[in-house]
Amino acid sequence: MRAVYLANYFVAGCIAFSLLGWIASLHPIAFRAVLCLVAATAIIWCLSWLLDFSLSSALKISVSDLQAYLIAAGAMFLVGLGVFLCT
Amino acid sequence: MHLKLFVLSASSVMLWLAPAALDKTAAIHKALQGVSLTAAIACAVTAGNIARLQAEQNEIEEIKTRAITADVVDEIATSAYISQQQRQQEAELILASPGDDVEATREALEAIYSQSLQDDTSTSEHPDYPIYLEICKSREAGKSTTWIVENVLKMGGRKFADGKVKLQTLLNKFDGEREK
Repeated sequence: MRAVYLANYFVAGCIAFSLLGWIASLHPIAFRAVLCLVAATAIIWCLSWLLDFSLSSALKISVSDLQAYLIAAGAMFLVGLGVFLCT
Repeated sequence: MHLKLFVLSASSVMLWLAPAALDKTAAIHKALQGVSLTAAIACAVTAGNIARLQAEQNEIEEIKTRAITADVVDEIATSAYISQQQRQQEAELILASPGDDVEATREALEAIYSQSLQDDTSTSEHPDYPIYLEICKSREAGKSTTWIVENVLKMGGRKFADGKVKLQTLLNKFDGEREK
């Protein structure tokens, strides 16, 4: 059951990125706004990888859990954007 | 609950991928895509929440089962320990009881023996005991009562009656003690 709920949240994340792509496709200004949001998210993602040990102690989770969340976020972004571009 | 969960999960994936099957040149494609994605994310989040609650309940059930199992195991171990202790106590009592009897008997015998020794000592230490031994020797030699009173007890003449009484007293006393 734990795997089911993790898979559902993963799918929800993928759909969220697809929705973000859909919003970006509505208008050029929306595209720029989403681009800025994605860029900021990418910077935070990279910084999280660099500061994983201090961030894990601040968030009170293990480093492996934090890395798993970061990998899952990257995978969600790629899958969500890929599905949106295909549709 | 499981049916709802799987229906919602399948719906979210279907709604997410459904716009790919739609005609991209259609005017309402964008709108349909937005509605579909919004519905899909709602379904996915709802399914995720249901699955999370279910997983938490399963964990609680597992903890309960483990606690009950541990309780039963503890109870069995406790009863086994108690029964073992009882058996051990019974065995110790069985082993200890003959020893106590022997000890009690030994103590009783010791007390009886020491008392008889004291009696023997008190008899031999009595001041009239040598006179009694002389009387016994004289009787064994076949001497008469009169001879014993006059020669052993030295109570002849007017003291003869008292001597006879003393002889009888000595005989009663020491013969009785010897018979004990």
